[in-house]
Amino acid sequence: MSDELEALLLERAALTLEELAAGCCVEVEWVVARVQAEVLHDKPPPDPALWSFSGRDLLRLRRIRALERDFDASPELAALVADLVEELDRLRVRLSRAGLAAD
Amino acid sequence: MQFKDYYQILGVSRDASAEAIKKAFRKLARKYHPDVSKEPDAEARMREVNEAYAVLADTEKRAAYDQLGHDYHAGQDFRPPPDWDAGFEFTGRGFSGAESAEFSDFFSQLFGRMGGQGGGFRARGEDHHAKILLDLEVAYRGGKRAITLRVPRQDAQGRVALADHTLNVRIPKGVHAGQVIRLAGQGAPGVGGAPAGDLYLEVHFEPHRRYRVEDRDVYATLPVTPWEAALGATVKAPVPDGAVEVRIPAGSRSGGKLRLRRRGIPGEPPGDLYLVLEIHTPPADTPRARELYETMASELAFDPRQHQGG
Repeated sequence: MSDELEALLLERAALTLEELAAGCCVEVEWVVARVQAEVLHDKPPPDPALWSFSGRDLLRLRRIRALERDFDASPELAALVADLVEELDRLRVRLSRAGLAAD
Repeated sequence: MQFKDYYQILGVSRDASAEAIKKAFRKLARKYHPDVSKEPDAEARMREVNEAYAVLADTEKRAAYDQLGHDYHAGQDFRPPPDWDAGFEFTGRGFSGAESAEFSDFFSQLFGRMGGQGGGFRARGEDHHAKILLDLEVAYRGGKRAITLRVPRQDAQGRVALADHTLNVRIPKGVHAGQVIRLAGQGAPGVGGAPAGDLYLEVHFEPHRRYRVEDRDVYATLPVTPWEAALGATVKAPVPDGAVEVRIPAGSRSGGKLRLRRRGIPGEPPGDLYLVLEIHTPPADTPRARELYETMASELAFDPRQHQGG
């Protein structure tokens, strides 16, 4: 087994534009186009040099990338599906909180 | 190693057109999409479907696979002959190297050659992604966890096979579901002396018998007696980081919530812990217990159905 590794929690403003692109296995330009199409929840400042992203942004953009790739979806349609999946996740958590299983 | 029949996985014939393959893939991608599918093994099936599509949608990979596999059928024992892929050059199509690392040994042995390792070329390693299941207690206290991942390893011939790789990770306290943690330098190795990629872990919690979690807030049921709820009481309640004394206000109802501020998952700000009251009635299984219930029935003017009409 390797030595002990420190895990870093990715909170708000944890990732740069380049790190987000690498984490999604895409070019920076792909991310810039998606951010400008407002597929993320928070609207960033106009200058990409000032952008920073959270771990949740990373998960959302990876989901959007997979939807675009698998179904030839437009970024907006992929974002709409991502919205619905996230809402589904929230409702499942609320069901579980109420002691109900999501069937 | 068993031969995988990618045509069978996608449910298409060996002479299917590129359009028919794409159509079959989309149909299955919808059916097994892990976020919404109700199929029991959706995630594994989706990986298999992605793997089949990564090969059959790529002209070079499909041609090499067809040349190699026309005498094989699914499940048959299989070893690729030496230099079977001479004359083919495989490039990524749609799926990154990191994503392909989730595919089977069969895929890795056939198509896992890592490209771009010639002299002078320098590139940072790809980032890898995985999910990690943690206990709620880790969110409160932090802790060490051994995480085993399957990672591609290259042999002297340049072929790649999957191998188990165990990491001993210190998880900081304050993690919660849906969050991402990063292990710097634990992704794919870099090429030509460039740094390795990072490993991202998406956090999920093991289902807990007692606690339910929503973001940083934690919910638990607190069983109480009718007299504790009616008269008020101070009771001891177990919480994820120990136990607390909580005051139940007089006149509490079943389903009422007690909020313990800042006793949820730690963070900035920390979450709250909610104890949901559940009134349990004692059984009338002795003459004395029956007598007490009969006294209540005759002396308390209580009708829980009075507002239901009818």
